[in-house]
Amino acid sequence: MIKNYLKIAWRNLVKNKVHTFINVVGLSLGMAVVMLISLWIYDELSYDKYFPSYDHIVQVMQHQTINHNTITQVDIPIPLGAKLRQDYGQDFKYIVLSTYTDQHTISHEDKKLNHSGKFMQAQAPDLLTLKMIRGNRSGLSDPSSIMLSSSLAKAMFGNADPMNQLIKIDNTLNVKVTGVYEDMPQNTSFNDVAFIAPWDLFMTTFPYLKRAATQWGNNSWELFAQMNPGVDVNKVSADIKYAKLRSILAQGDKIGASFNPVLFLNPMSRWHLYSAYFNGVNIGGKIEFVWMFGVIGLFVLILACINFMNLSTARSEKRAKEVGVRKTLGSDRKQLIGQFYTESLLMSSLAFAISLILVQLALPWFNQVADKQLVILWDAPVFWIIAIICSLLTGIMAGSYPALYLSSFKPVKVLKGAFNAGPYAKLPRKVLVVLQFTVSITLIIGTVVIFRQVQFTKNRPVGYGREGLIQAQLRTDVIHKHFDAIKYDLLKSGAITNIAESNSPLTGVWQRESGLSWRNKPAGLQDDFGIIPVSFDFGKTVNWKVIDGRDFSKEFITDSSGIILNESAARFMNFSHPVGETVKKDGRNYKIIGVVKDLVMASPYERVTPTIFFIIDFPGNIVSIRINPNISTHDAIAKINAIFQQYDPDSPFDYQFTDSEYAKKFDDEERTGKLAGFFTILAIFISCLGLFGMASFMAEQRTKEIGIRKVLGASVFSLWQLMSQEFVVLVSISILIAIPTAYYFMHNWIRHYYYQAALSWWIFVITALGGLLITLVTVSYQGIKSALTNPVKSLRNE
Amino acid sequence: MLSLQHISKFYQAGGTRNFVINDISLEVEAGEFISIMGPSGSGKSTLLNIIGMLDEPSSGYHYFAGETVHQLKDKQRSALYKKFIGFVFQAYHLIDELTVYENIETPLIYQDFKSAERKAMVADMLDRFQIVGKKDLFPAQLSGGQQQLVGIARALIAGPKLLLADEPTGNLNSKQGEEIMQLFKKLNKEDGVTIIQVTHSEKNAEYGSRIINLLDGRIESSKQL
Repeated sequence: MIKNYLKIAWRNLVKNKVHTFINVVGLSLGMAVVMLISLWIYDELSYDKYFPSYDHIVQVMQHQTINHNTITQVDIPIPLGAKLRQDYGQDFKYIVLSTYTDQHTISHEDKKLNHSGKFMQAQAPDLLTLKMIRGNRSGLSDPSSIMLSSSLAKAMFGNADPMNQLIKIDNTLNVKVTGVYEDMPQNTSFNDVAFIAPWDLFMTTFPYLKRAATQWGNNSWELFAQMNPGVDVNKVSADIKYAKLRSILAQGDKIGASFNPVLFLNPMSRWHLYSAYFNGVNIGGKIEFVWMFGVIGLFVLILACINFMNLSTARSEKRAKEVGVRKTLGSDRKQLIGQFYTESLLMSSLAFAISLILVQLALPWFNQVADKQLVILWDAPVFWIIAIICSLLTGIMAGSYPALYLSSFKPVKVLKGAFNAGPYAKLPRKVLVVLQFTVSITLIIGTVVIFRQVQFTKNRPVGYGREGLIQAQLRTDVIHKHFDAIKYDLLKSGAITNIAESNSPLTGVWQRESGLSWRNKPAGLQDDFGIIPVSFDFGKTVNWKVIDGRDFSKEFITDSSGIILNESAARFMNFSHPVGETVKKDGRNYKIIGVVKDLVMASPYERVTPTIFFIIDFPGNIVSIRINPNISTHDAIAKINAIFQQYDPDSPFDYQFTDSEYAKKFDDEERTGKLAGFFTILAIFISCLGLFGMASFMAEQRTKEIGIRKVLGASVFSLWQLMSQEFVVLVSISILIAIPTAYYFMHNWIRHYYYQAALSWWIFVITALGGLLITLVTVSYQGIKSALTNPVKSLRNE
Repeated sequence: MLSLQHISKFYQAGGTRNFVINDISLEVEAGEFISIMGPSGSGKSTLLNIIGMLDEPSSGYHYFAGETVHQLKDKQRSALYKKFIGFVFQAYHLIDELTVYENIETPLIYQDFKSAERKAMVADMLDRFQIVGKKDLFPAQLSGGQQQLVGIARALIAGPKLLLADEPTGNLNSKQGEEIMQLFKKLNKEDGVTIIQVTHSEKNAEYGSRIINLLDGRIESSKQL
């Protein structure tokens, strides 16, 4: 029986090539999309699961409230580590203070490499259960040690034994390799930690760290912990809630206490997918993308299934006779249902095989866009089981309607040739077409809105000249010591037009402070300013726009206590004439000498932070360099590199282009946009395939009608109109449903952005027109083809 | 073997009943060859379909092979039908996607014959109808007469007691039609298959043992030959 089913199914597939092509291509695209998305979701959901203690690892985080606005941060003060160990030690197996993951120069003899890593307390390897390739997990107990990832060890020492080799960090710290660990995979929160060095060593690097070790208000570090087995994370999280607040109050720090710090433990399972907070409440995060893409994938698959159902029922008139004959030959309804299911399952198996090939071909591109390292899990039985179950379900879902519908035909009726499905039989088909296009058009509008939002934000005036600007991070004070000489040499070489030092790059605000005071500051107003110490030439280097007062100048001796505000800061302080006013910080008075247009330094989607620029009186972290526009960038960089190497031979000159650093801020949104665009194009393509198939069957069915109309004198145009109008009506209905739906979703999405592109009416109009145009192009081929057919031919067939 | 008593088939149209079959009673003995004649719309095909259980009467009693058909459930009726009845159509109604061999084999599949048995039975039938050479062709590659031959072979493959034919020669030329009629006669005489055919042709009707004339859903006349 099965053999017979398969034979007939196969012959039907081969006989109706267009139909089969549309179905198989549509289904395999749908399946490929679902597979890609599933791999992506699997990767997202398995984030950090590499760590054996996944269920017990937490990060200590805090909420702080500034002017009724609660921000949630991973940044915590150093004394918190000892405090937790002392008061709540029985709940934790390990408590580990850590620096942020930062770039450092790692050198061995002549080899210098810039890599990111962390300084962590000695139990870090145990906490993460690092897989040691050399040495053991107690390697950090010696304060002058370092543990390397296997890839860094390889890059550094090649095939030589890395153990006990001497290494310099940032040319100042001498350490010895005491361990090599397996690289932490891409889908972990520590994927970029290429080395771990001891926290105690870090504490000796800068004098200010001695003070920071006891400051409860300096939140510039991270704290990881592993719970003891059987301990309830939620309970401990509640217990430690006010540990910091109590300590601050004990120190008598009223301002610090006014921020109302509330501590909590964030389990590892929530780090990656639930990282977004709004006013102290978790509002999800990447999990939204998991949902969004999951839903899109399902929709694309449903679109492909709809094609199958539609084309099969459209062909029902042709298959009706076969059903009738089979019934008179003694076939049960059950056997017919079996036959139709066999056909759809054969089709879905074929589609599944093709989709595997498509996924394999698309993965390199997809990985690049999604910033992932996904692979088809060829050797995982679970993958195959799920994939096969899914394609069976798809086959059953796609085949149900034809199987149940076609098998119900009464043989007497269909064999008499009086078979007429009637107006109601076409209704489900129409509903399915409307559904298909509603989904497609909603996706189009969504994609356009995302792209426009990204574009709109990209075009936001940033307040400085981005092009021709490079920035380099300084890890030692060598450059600072020779700054004037370097500047002189660089200018003389013709490579640059200006250079300046600062304590934050143009693409970030690294220092924030509060507790400043000024004339008429309302009592109780909490302030939070970006603080950016810069050298005199900073403004001239980055080309900021002074809108009031003047820029810093060495000609005024008093400028060392002068400050420049950005517009937002001036607005926040509410001065009608800010220039000449005085701002007090850390007990010292600063005079406002100018106001500049807002510089977009942090997130381009958000409000610009009120920011104050001071004159720098210590070695800066960053140099910004304006390249001479009259020489090629390549030459300029070579010259700059040479001069930097000449003064600081031990540090690699590690620079970035400011405009590309700025562009990185759009990566997430652009990625979403690109993926959504990709899925949208597929959805439209699949819908059009279906439409094309429907149109060709309609044309076939109406061959006689068109022949008669032609004999009666109908023009090609009027026939084309006749053939197209039904589809135009259906797509118009879809548009009417899709526009409010898309508006609702995109309105919600765009609300998250402070700086937002309006949802203009023209987006909807253009999408609607585009949808209609695509429809017309798709159905016209069939319409015109049948309108041009010689009526004698079509009538003779009767 | 077959008995119809006061069988009617009607459609409700507004307040009135439109009778297609109006109170027909008919007895058919095993081994008969009956031709049903009558003008278009007289109810010939409907009567044949009711006999073949493809259609249900609106009222009346229907007995077949000792079973009370009007009281049977769908499934039992279908089983009865599968066992005893073969159908031949005017438009042949072969399945386009199947070869000659497979078309003939299909009823056997639905009756759960084993593969080896099927092979033997189909081979036998091909041989008997002298179409062995055409067994791998598709219906579209055959002439009308050949297609109808396959249709009859298919109707006979499971060894039915009753063969129902709805204008079996309607689409054929006179020579082909005559061959089919000769075949029917032979089946009736030599194999004892009971045959009921609907036909427009006086000449073809005379191959049978009895001619029944229908008019407006009633039996107008019945003539034993």
